[in-house]
Amino acid sequence: MWIRLLLLAGLALTGYSAFVRRRRMPVHIMLIMMFLAAAAGMVVFPDVTNWAAARLGVGRGVDLVTYLVEVSLLFIVLHYYSKFVLLQQQLTTLTRELTFLRQDLDQLRGPKAGE
Amino acid sequence: MQTSGSSSESVLTGASVWIVVPAKDEESTIGHVVAELAQGEWVVLVVDDGSVDRTGMVAKMAGAIVLRHAVNLGQGASLQTGFDYARRRDASVLVTFDADGQHAPTDIPTLLQALDSGCDVVLGSRFLGEIVGASWLRRIFLRVAVKVSNRLSGMTLSDAHCGIRAIRASALDQLTLTQDRMAHASELLKKLGRTDLVVVEVPVAVRYTQYSSSRGQGLTQALRVLFDLMFNRSL
Repeated sequence: MWIRLLLLAGLALTGYSAFVRRRRMPVHIMLIMMFLAAAAGMVVFPDVTNWAAARLGVGRGVDLVTYLVEVSLLFIVLHYYSKFVLLQQQLTTLTRELTFLRQDLDQLRGPKAGE
Repeated sequence: MQTSGSSSESVLTGASVWIVVPAKDEESTIGHVVAELAQGEWVVLVVDDGSVDRTGMVAKMAGAIVLRHAVNLGQGASLQTGFDYARRRDASVLVTFDADGQHAPTDIPTLLQALDSGCDVVLGSRFLGEIVGASWLRRIFLRVAVKVSNRLSGMTLSDAHCGIRAIRASALDQLTLTQDRMAHASELLKKLGRTDLVVVEVPVAVRYTQYSSSRGQGLTQALRVLFDLMFNRSL
């Protein structure tokens, strides 16, 4: 019983945190809420996973949850990798602009003593 | 190789030729490389890619213009920075040249002559020229890289990733490098394969020393290049 309460509290906290940080309620926040609601449903009614697993032909409910977690993790990794690539491109652009600005500034200042 | 009309401007008489040298922690070789290059009729531009040693200072003292990346971005990003800067200074021809001393400055006139004969891009080829000091393992690795590169680019070249090339500035609009690290060489060939730019290979000499070999691409880096090519621009 306590473990269920703990899990539900964790899910509620995650949902609250996602909601507080929302920006104009984008689609992915809605998806997170639906995901958390589904997870809460599984905590309250654990037999639902067994029922769904039997319908889908993947054996036990725990197997179904494991598969869902694996797919979710892959999605998260891919999502954050694409963010990382975008950030890398932005860093390159910024660094390049900084390089040109510094060079232009150095030329305006003229050669330093001893150069 | 493709054929098309190209610029008739002579690159040997009066054109502004810039040698772009990307360098990261090359303090021990960059001075000698720049000093040799500075004897020619061209501008030497070193892009110091966030070195933690005195690469930039040594290059400047040897006679190069030095741009410095505040953080390390990679060889591809350094070359693109050099291309952008040189074009802002009205460069008409850009030559890429490695900082580890493996290339011979005496090959540059050969590249420029080929460019002058009506090409847009001239690629140095170790396999048409001379390879000194390479182990048999490196030679096999390079041969495999050529086959993979030709498959990816759709071109038929004798060498894949030789660092010495000459490119008309006007051709660079179609050849913007977006791969920041070592995958830029494959990216360049891939883009060349999709344009109608005139591309030729000329023989060049490459001399591997213990130092340059230690700085070269190993199997791990080759795998990273493949990974970058497959994933970095498709996400």
